[in-house]
Amino acid sequence: MADRLSLHGLRILAGTTPLVHDVDLQLEAGEILALVGASGSGKTLSARALLGLPGPRPGVVAAELEIRVGDRVLRPYQGLAEAVAAGKPGRFWRKAHQAFRPVRGHLVGTMAQDARGALDPLWTVERQLREALDLGGSSDEPAAVLIRAGFRHPQRVLCLFPHQLSGGMAQRACIALALARGSRFLIADEPTTGLDPTVQEAILAELQRLASEGIGVMLITHDLRIVPRVADRVQIIDAGRTVESLPAQLLSSSAAPKVRELINATARVAGGVL
Amino acid sequence: MKLTAWLGLILLMIVGLIGVVTGLLPDGWLPYDIVADVSPSDAGAAPSAAHWLGTDHLGRDVAWRLVLATRAFVGPGLLACLLASVIGVGAGAVSGFLGGPIAALVRYLSTVTASIPRFVLVLLAIAINGNSTWLIGAVAGVAYSPAVAEAVFSRIDSLQRADFVLAARAHGLGPFRILGYHLLWVNCRRMVGRHALNLFGYLLLLETTLSYIGGFGVMEPQPSWGNMLAFEFGYRTDNIWGVWAPALAIWVTIFCCGLVSDALAERRRG
Amino acid sequence: MADPQLRHDDTPSSDLARAGSWKLVFPVLRLVAVFMLTLAGAVLAIQLLLWASPGDPVDLVPNGEEIRAQLEAEWGLDRSLPERYVQFLGRALRGDLGSSLTYRPGATVTELILPAAGRSLRLLIPALLLSMGLGLGLGLLTAGRSSVVRRLAQVVSVAPVFLLAFVAVHLLNELAFYGMEAGWFGRPGWFALPDTDSAMKSSLAILVLAVGSGALAEVHAAVEDEVVRLRNATFVDAAVARGAPVWKHVLWNLLPPLATIAYGRAAFFVGGLVIVEKVLHLNGAGSMLWQACRLRDYPVALGITVLAAAAVCGARLLGDLVRISVDPRLREVAQ
Repeated sequence: MADRLSLHGLRILAGTTPLVHDVDLQLEAGEILALVGASGSGKTLSARALLGLPGPRPGVVAAELEIRVGDRVLRPYQGLAEAVAAGKPGRFWRKAHQAFRPVRGHLVGTMAQDARGALDPLWTVERQLREALDLGGSSDEPAAVLIRAGFRHPQRVLCLFPHQLSGGMAQRACIALALARGSRFLIADEPTTGLDPTVQEAILAELQRLASEGIGVMLITHDLRIVPRVADRVQIIDAGRTVESLPAQLLSSSAAPKVRELINATARVAGGVL
Repeated sequence: MKLTAWLGLILLMIVGLIGVVTGLLPDGWLPYDIVADVSPSDAGAAPSAAHWLGTDHLGRDVAWRLVLATRAFVGPGLLACLLASVIGVGAGAVSGFLGGPIAALVRYLSTVTASIPRFVLVLLAIAINGNSTWLIGAVAGVAYSPAVAEAVFSRIDSLQRADFVLAARAHGLGPFRILGYHLLWVNCRRMVGRHALNLFGYLLLLETTLSYIGGFGVMEPQPSWGNMLAFEFGYRTDNIWGVWAPALAIWVTIFCCGLVSDALAERRRG
Repeated sequence: MADPQLRHDDTPSSDLARAGSWKLVFPVLRLVAVFMLTLAGAVLAIQLLLWASPGDPVDLVPNGEEIRAQLEAEWGLDRSLPERYVQFLGRALRGDLGSSLTYRPGATVTELILPAAGRSLRLLIPALLLSMGLGLGLGLLTAGRSSVVRRLAQVVSVAPVFLLAFVAVHLLNELAFYGMEAGWFGRPGWFALPDTDSAMKSSLAILVLAVGSGALAEVHAAVEDEVVRLRNATFVDAAVARGAPVWKHVLWNLLPPLATIAYGRAAFFVGGLVIVEKVLHLNGAGSMLWQACRLRDYPVALGITVLAAAAVCGARLLGDLVRISVDPRLREVAQ
């Protein structure tokens, strides 16, 4: 059975306002799922729920998450429903860090939008990689991980500090950090936003390469244009609900009104390239 | 502003008012004679109708001395705030607006002045030029102005590049209007106000410390909250207010300065 | 498609990329130069205090008339201000700050103030460390939420140093007195404060200096600001998402702002030290300054002031050195 990650029935509240309502997410090893939606639609919140990150505030009040890797099956949200029903969500969240420890960084890696900001500004790339390698119990050398992340001259990069890296290099470094832990799944949160087109190409190619090596990639983006070329499946989220979930090639033929709205707007802006 | 901050402000204004009034009135007008009011038979008496806070160990009325002591620091405090504001805002605004070598020079002068501890500077100044609470106020004001100048400089420097300044220039508004109103009044007045409050509290601290230690500041028989404390130290009387009235007065007044200053702080963004 | 992009991608954004961690020489030299320039400026300002006051400086000295000739030679009163300044600076660099006139006539200023400064440092450094430690601990505890502890720390800390010392001494003495009267215990070794030298007195001095005149409250507020800023930082969030231990990142990143806070308080602490030494009858550079001022011994007073300025500038230099060694972003020379 292939490695897979499935989230079911996610609900997130901020006080009494629902931010995410009954969202399902599924990701298989080796596939690229594009999670698309306007800013503030709840896509990042939903993805972070895979890591148990929204925490008590804003509150994840319901979720069933099953992560299957090899022979291991993890259900980190077990106990949340009971705790919420009893009115004591704190009981669950106090133990949440334990439950999610094997998930965060290890089974599921993250690439933040601000790649340079995601690295500790005081540490060299080498030191950050060593920390990740030690955490994952790997005996690889940092240089080797950098090569797997697509760097051609790892020695030059190891002694650099985050503020000395270009945007593209920083993204690759984050990929390297995820690889160093041996993640099976990768959440890439708007990795191409703010980068120039040539670099965007390179990063997307990198993600495709990772998928071909068996890593499941969840690509969060608000740019519909990259979806058909890179993703296998696409899921569109609007105002905290899943609007549509289908294979990427079928995107332009979708009939859902919100989807058509997005497609048309993208076409107007990009000149009909979809 | 929160309720506690309003209470603090009211208290500060009362103290200030008393200080100004007692400072301006000639001595003969007050129904209390500092020099003559010595009656050892009354020493250490508890509060009564005649003496609202009792008497100290020389029989002098604590309440009146408490009130009269305000003139020792209110006037000099206001002087210090005035000096620090004028010099600080002037230097900070000019260097922030003009930039370049002028800014560098002003910042260098600020750093140099800030390198000498303020208390040491004041002590040296009064040792050389003679003891006077007004001199204390003046030196404290000048010594504090670098802090104001730095704050104003960095605020204006960062706002210089702001879009609304470019827009104002594009509309033809003159530099004085931009600097005077838009930059200084709108953006800096709270910050300068906070610094002034902190300085006022610092001057109270300075004056009472010097008067407590003696030899400088306010000398007997003129009252100061500081020398009232020093005077009662070691004397055991029935009137605890001899010690605690001035102590609380100092504590509460400085606390209120900080309270109002915090209330003026701009809400942090995000 | 991949290869050309990679080659483009490998180019770092900064020209000093080669530098890595060890190009510290230039920034350090720059900091030392700033230190010397600032101290020189401070010395000039101190000198101006004396020379720029109205009247003849010689008149300020109690027995000035008798030793007018000696004073004029030593202070170079017949020369212009810049010359006097250079003369003073030259002598000072050789360790000659003149000799005491009235405090201890005949002794050189240097041999008087240096041992006293050593005694004072034994109070100053523990007080600074205590203040930073308490501020850090409290800040980590209360950052980001409303707390009674913060209010309490503010209320206590806002009292002037002399007032805290006064209250503490008063209460301790009263307590000892009642205790002895009631027979609970015998006469404590430190009774009666502040007349006897004791560990209690020195500890009290350090505590009062660390907390009073707003010292603790300001360190606490500054630390809270930094901790809140760090907690919201992207890399801290990313570390949590990666499952990495966060505390290492947070503490290491707190070090530069802590160094800034520490040297920012230096001038304040030196001023407070002068007060504490006098109020608690301790023997150090601070109480020497008071005596010198009372006796109008200007060489000694000026010497101690120069030392105080040097301590403040030195603290700034040290803090900046810590900052650039920890934070690589500060090493590159600002354009």
